[in-house]
Amino acid sequence: MINLEASHLAKRFGDTQAVVDVSFAVAPGEIFGLLGPNGAGKTTTIRMLLDIFKPDSGSIRIFGGEMDQEKKRRIGYMPEERGLYKDLKLEPTLVYLAALKGMEEAEARARLGDWLERFDLAEHRTKKVQELSKGMQQKAQIIATLVHDPDLVVIDEPFSGLDPVTTRLVKEIFEEQRQAGKSILMSTHQMYQVEALCDRIVLIDEGRTVLYGPVAEIKRNFAGNAVVVEGQGDFGGIPGVIETRRQNGTWHMALEIGTDPQAVLRSLAAREDLRIERFELEEPSLDDIFIQTVQEKRPGARG
Amino acid sequence: MRNFWMIAKHEYLKTVTRRGFLILLAAVPLGIVALIGMGILIESMSQDATPIGYVDQAGILDASLHAALPNADERIQIRAFADEEAARTALKQGQIQAFYVFPPDYVSTLRTDVYYLEDAPGGNAERDLNDFVRLNLVSSYSPEVQERLLEGPSVTVHDVASNRTFSENEIANIILPFVATFLFFFATMSSAGYMLGVVASEKENRTVEVMMTSVTSEQLIGGKTLGLLAASLTQLAVYLLVAAIGVIVAGAYVPELRQVAVPWSYLGVMALFFFPSYALITGMMVALGAAVTEMEQGQQAAGMLNLLFVLPLFILPVLFSNPGHPLIVALTLFPTTSFLTISLRWGLGTVPWWQLGLSWGLLVATAALSIWAAARVFRAGMLRYGKPLNLKAVVAAVRG
Repeated sequence: MINLEASHLAKRFGDTQAVVDVSFAVAPGEIFGLLGPNGAGKTTTIRMLLDIFKPDSGSIRIFGGEMDQEKKRRIGYMPEERGLYKDLKLEPTLVYLAALKGMEEAEARARLGDWLERFDLAEHRTKKVQELSKGMQQKAQIIATLVHDPDLVVIDEPFSGLDPVTTRLVKEIFEEQRQAGKSILMSTHQMYQVEALCDRIVLIDEGRTVLYGPVAEIKRNFAGNAVVVEGQGDFGGIPGVIETRRQNGTWHMALEIGTDPQAVLRSLAAREDLRIERFELEEPSLDDIFIQTVQEKRPGARG
Repeated sequence: MRNFWMIAKHEYLKTVTRRGFLILLAAVPLGIVALIGMGILIESMSQDATPIGYVDQAGILDASLHAALPNADERIQIRAFADEEAARTALKQGQIQAFYVFPPDYVSTLRTDVYYLEDAPGGNAERDLNDFVRLNLVSSYSPEVQERLLEGPSVTVHDVASNRTFSENEIANIILPFVATFLFFFATMSSAGYMLGVVASEKENRTVEVMMTSVTSEQLIGGKTLGLLAASLTQLAVYLLVAAIGVIVAGAYVPELRQVAVPWSYLGVMALFFFPSYALITGMMVALGAAVTEMEQGQQAAGMLNLLFVLPLFILPVLFSNPGHPLIVALTLFPTTSFLTISLRWGLGTVPWWQLGLSWGLLVATAALSIWAAARVFRAGMLRYGKPLNLKAVVAAVRG
C-alpha cells in the first residue's frame, strides 16, 4: 500500500499560481526527497498534503484514503518555520504535543525519557524552551515530530542548524524508521544528504514535476556524457573527447555529443603508451542534475 | 473532542499559573480589602465611647427616652445637665467628650451650640444625639406615627412595562451592580488581552503549522477560548468571593450593607450578556492576533478596539442624570457597548424589556459574525510569518 499519493495538485494564491501540476507517491519503508529551488512550490505542496491548505484541483490520498483526524495522528511534521512555545518548559511542551497526537500523557512521558536521553536533552527537560540553544530547540522539534511513532514523517530541511554529531544521529534515526517500514518525506537543499539517504525523489520547479523516480535511475539517465579513467600515462588528445582534466590522480573526460564511451575505451586500449587501471561512466551528482534540470527549464537564466 | 478539551485545559493552566495573572488576581482583592480596611479604620477613629451631655434650655428633651431608642445599650451615653456651668465642669474633668446647648428658641430656630475641648465629638456622638432629639420631638405622637416619622418615606418605583421594581432605599443594591460591572468588565477585557497574546504568540512562536496538523482550527481556537474563559471566570469568582466576604465583614461597621441581597436578576441578565460579549471581543482579538506579526502591534490596535467597549464610561454624567437619554439607549443597543451600558443602567433604574431583548439579539448576531470572520482571518493570517495582513487582505479573507 502507498502511504501518500499526490496526483496533479494545483494551488493558486491570488495572482500567483504556486503549484501547477505536481504528482508523486511515497511508499512504506522509503525515504523520499521533495526537491526544488526556492519558490518552486515545495512548502505549498507539503501544506496541501497535510490538509493545511485545500488544493484547487488534484487529489491526495493518505494511507489509502482521504485525510481525517485519525490519520493526522499517524503523521509527524516538522515545518521549515521551526517553533515551540518559548515560555513553557521543555518536557511539558513535548508531552502536550504528543498528547494532541493521541498519546496518553503517561505513555508520552515514558517515551520521551528515551528520546531526551538519545538527543542529550534529559538534563534540560525542566528548562523553558527559550532557555535552550537553537540547536537544542531543533533537537526538541525532531523529538516532537517522532515521539508519537508516526507512520509518515514529513520534514522540511531536517539538517539545518544541526551539528555534525546530531546530523549523524538524525540520519541513523531516519534509517531506523525506514527499517521499521515508516515513510519519510524530506525536503532539503542539501543534495549530498539526499544522495546518501533517499530512495526516490521528485524535483519540482515553477510548480511542476520535472523529475521523478529512484535516485540511482535518475543518475544513470543523466550519466553517459562523461567518463572517469585511472591509469598510467597522458590521457589527453583522445578522439571524441572535448575536455580532459586531471583531478586527484583521476582523469575526467567530457565526451562530444554522440560519442560512444565504448569507442573511447577502444581508442585508449589501442594506445601503447597508456596503461588503464579503471574506466567507468561518470555519474553526475544530484547537485549537477538539479542545476542542469532547473536551468534547462529556464533558458533565459543560462546567459 | 479530546483535543478540544486538552487545548482548553492546557490554555487554562498556562494562564492561571502565569505570574501576571496571579499578581492581578491578588491585586484587586487586596485593593478591595485595603479600601474596606481604610473605611473601617476611619470609621473606628471617629468613634468615641465617652458620654456626651446636653443643656436643655428649650425644655424639649426627656432623658428617660434614651432607653427607648433602638439598640439603646450599644449607643453612647447622653447625660442631661442643669446648666452650662455644670456641663463645662464635667467636660473639663473628662466625664464627657462634648456637650450641646439647646437654647430657649430652639424650636423656632433649630440652633444648637456644641462645646468640646480639642477633638470634635465622634460621628457616633452626633448620630446618637440626633436620634435622641428626633425621638423627643415626636414623642407626643402614637408609636406607629413615630416610627413613620423617624424612618421617613420608603419609595419603590414600579416599571409597568418591564414589571421590575426599584427601591431607592436599597442603597447597597445600587452600588453593588456598579462594583460588579467593573469586576465583570475587568475580567472580560483582561481575558481578551490574554486571547490576543495567545494568538499573536502562536504566530510569533511559529507553532501553529504543527498544531494544524494535529487539530482543526475550530478545536484550536475553540479550546483556547474556553480555556481563557475559564481563567477569566476563575478570576471573577475570586473577585466576587472576596467582595462577598468584604460585604459581610464591612456589614458589621456599615449598617446599610446588612440589607444587601444577592441581585439575582442583575446577575442573570449580566450572564446573558457576558458570554456573547466575551465571544465578540474574542473574535476581534483572534482576527487581530492573526493579522499582526508581533504582539506589540496587536496591543496598540487592541487599545483602540477596547475604546469601543468602554465608551459608556466617557458619558457617565449623561447616564447618571438621564438614563433614558437617546444616546444611552443607542449605547444600550450597540453590541460593543451594550454590556457595560446595561450593567450601569441596572443600578440606576429599570431598562425596558424591548431594549434588553433587541440589544441581546444584536449582540449575539454580531458575536456570531465576529467568530465566523475571525476563523477566516485566522486561517489566512497565521501562516504568513513576518507579514501582516492589511485591511484589503483581511476583507478578502472574510469574503473567502
